[in-house]
Amino acid sequence: MKNGRFFVGLVGVALVVTYLVWTGISDTMVYYLTPTELMAKVEEDPSFRSVGVKVSGRVVPGTYEQGEGELVHLFQVQDIEHPEVTFSVIYQDVLPDTFTDETEVVLEGRFGEDDVFQAKTLLTKCGSRYEATPEDLAEKEIAE
Amino acid sequence: MTALGEFALWIALPISFWGMVMGFVGGKQGRGDLILSGERSVYLVFALLAIASLAITNAFLTDQFQYQYVAGYSNRNLDTYFKLSGLWAGQRGSLVFWAVLLAFFASVTVFQNRNKNREFMPYVVGVLQGILAFFLVVLLFAGVNPFEQLGFMPADGQGLNPQLQNYWMTIHPPVLYLGFTAYAIPFAFAMAALMNGRTDSRWIVVTRRWTLVSWFFLTNGIIFGMRWAYEELGWGGYWFWDPVENASLLPWLTATAFLHSIMIQENRGMLKVWNMSLVLLTFLLTIFATFLTRSGLIESVHSFAQNTSIAFIFLAFMGSIFVASVVLIVYRLPGLRSENQIHSFLSREAAFLFNNLVLLGAAFAVLWGTIFPLVSEAFTGQAISVGPPFFNRVNIPIGLILLALTGIGPVIAWRRATRRNLKRNFAIPLAMGAVVVGIFLALGARNGYALTTFGLSAFVLTVIATEFWKGTKARARIEGEGFGPALVHLVGRNRRRWGGYIVHVGTVLIFTAFAGRAFEVEVRKVMNPGETVTVASPFGHTYTLAYEGISSSVEENFDRWVALLSVQRNDQAVGSLTTERRFYRVNRQMVTEVGIRSTALEDLYVILADVEDFEGMVGNDPDAQRIVVQVMVNPLVGWIWYGGVILTIGSLIALWPSAEARRRSAALEPAMAGGS
Repeated sequence: MKNGRFFVGLVGVALVVTYLVWTGISDTMVYYLTPTELMAKVEEDPSFRSVGVKVSGRVVPGTYEQGEGELVHLFQVQDIEHPEVTFSVIYQDVLPDTFTDETEVVLEGRFGEDDVFQAKTLLTKCGSRYEATPEDLAEKEIAE
Repeated sequence: MTALGEFALWIALPISFWGMVMGFVGGKQGRGDLILSGERSVYLVFALLAIASLAITNAFLTDQFQYQYVAGYSNRNLDTYFKLSGLWAGQRGSLVFWAVLLAFFASVTVFQNRNKNREFMPYVVGVLQGILAFFLVVLLFAGVNPFEQLGFMPADGQGLNPQLQNYWMTIHPPVLYLGFTAYAIPFAFAMAALMNGRTDSRWIVVTRRWTLVSWFFLTNGIIFGMRWAYEELGWGGYWFWDPVENASLLPWLTATAFLHSIMIQENRGMLKVWNMSLVLLTFLLTIFATFLTRSGLIESVHSFAQNTSIAFIFLAFMGSIFVASVVLIVYRLPGLRSENQIHSFLSREAAFLFNNLVLLGAAFAVLWGTIFPLVSEAFTGQAISVGPPFFNRVNIPIGLILLALTGIGPVIAWRRATRRNLKRNFAIPLAMGAVVVGIFLALGARNGYALTTFGLSAFVLTVIATEFWKGTKARARIEGEGFGPALVHLVGRNRRRWGGYIVHVGTVLIFTAFAGRAFEVEVRKVMNPGETVTVASPFGHTYTLAYEGISSSVEENFDRWVALLSVQRNDQAVGSLTTERRFYRVNRQMVTEVGIRSTALEDLYVILADVEDFEGMVGNDPDAQRIVVQVMVNPLVGWIWYGGVILTIGSLIALWPSAEARRRSAALEPAMAGGS
């Protein structure tokens, strides 16, 4: 057997992987937006409210409250670069340990008709750095 | 002491540059004095980096919070145990740690090869010192100097993130880093082979043990990380396909491919360019993983304000290595021509090659999914992200193909398999697979992927068991030994082969455990003391958990709330478990400590999702003891850890030099290539 048939196998594997990746992405992708972008999208096209999106922003300090019922969390999220852009969020599940009412969060869900974002998943964004900035430390020095 | 550490880094930098130049120039001109100087510089750089590492550890132990790095990852009351692991708790220390491990391995290599493989060593030293020089430049000039001072002395440090205060998290990074850095040795030998023109299999024979060492650490590092996620993150899973996890998986995938493809080159003289490319790719991915895991680059799609200069430095380094290596490979193409061809799809070569392509396909899919948000934003201005559904969708089918190949590869004949060979080796295993699928179908399992996994696992295990059986039986007959001694001698005679099979058994267990996730059960309930919650295991029995009460206490570093639940299995008391939440005061962060009851087949996993009253003295007021628990039954999850242990045993068997090999390597020196 010569290299010709062998290349067919190679191309075959490449095609299968490409197919899996391609359909995988188109079936599972979600827009990853900032609050500002989300507001603009909704403004432009109201049907966007029914599309699942991912939004990252920061919890507005002091806005967190428990809703009626178990594990219902209500809070506001603001754009990190444009803090004046905010929206309300409702989330019904266990909060991650790292959630506080000033963390950066990544929400996945829908921006409902009532202008409340219904979050299906909530991740906090301190990620793998787990690091304090010098500013944090300076603040600490003053505080103590 | 700590100041000495920074001083050591500054001295190490010019010495590593010196060593790099001496290696390359000495190799090129064949000057023994320069080569020797280059080799000695490796020991010196290791000593200096060891001083720097000890200095950082010392700064942690003595609470020197004037150093930004120490202040960011420690506080006075932190357990000494966690202070000791401060060296690799964050990016800055990790880079020093990476460098010192590499310098250590480089020193071992120089020592091992002081009298052999001399034609490779100058270039090996040049390459390794080049990598070390790069890391030292990053440490000293890219704004990540671990000895950087704050200019004031904070009263206390920020503390270590409580989620990192876990046993597995203290050993997961170093083990992973051992894997990353050990891989630099095969890479250095590959580059040396390209530079000195010895493009036969010698570099592979010399470094295959390093390759295996690296793979062993990488695998365990990843498994330890899964264990940490499972115990500490409190959502019942162990893998989330987040960029950091993916970054450690990528070099594992390509290293696994390399581990297999080098056997083809050793046995059939094929795939030479492929192996060069794989070793290069894997090395680049270890570097990629090193900087990605601690840089937070990918998560921060929308907040690029962070220090990204280090990302560009790393990308530039990876880019130059890539270009230099490709140029060398192209230059040496004539020497890298294949000595044989693939004769048939039904051959071991083809199965191994297929395994390689599939592993690379998986690596490509994972890489693409990981960087997709960055790419889509760069090209369309619109960030689009893919999550776990994407990775599962793509990687489950790929994983199943790999699992099947685990059974096919080791027993299919080289060159061209005959019908007889296929029938003899695969008829019984295939039947076993079918029987297992039938049993699970009869038991009511309907998940296609899980059924396929169970069937293929049975197939692979039968293949391996048959191999062991046949080999032992033959040896017992020929040598007239009992079965026990025959088995031991069989494995001892070809440790690499039989050790590899044992690794495969471990892998099969891990795959089976993955499939177990399809049968996970989860219940959530609000409970007052005295109330019960019932959860049905997929294995048929039910657990009844009764909430006995909650207690709170104030510990040195945290406040804690501990809920006690008694557990009944099918109305029979089997003990109790506690599940808790802690509030780390220094970090102002809540942490869940999951209650786990493990058995061989499943874990009962209880999360204290919420406590009614975090403020008051909950112990006194029965009305304020309401909690929310999330109870999960995670079938087969323990098999990941058992599989990890088996895989470790298999790797150690494969690594252990046989008495015969030791004698051979002592007698036959350096020019002999080949052998298996």
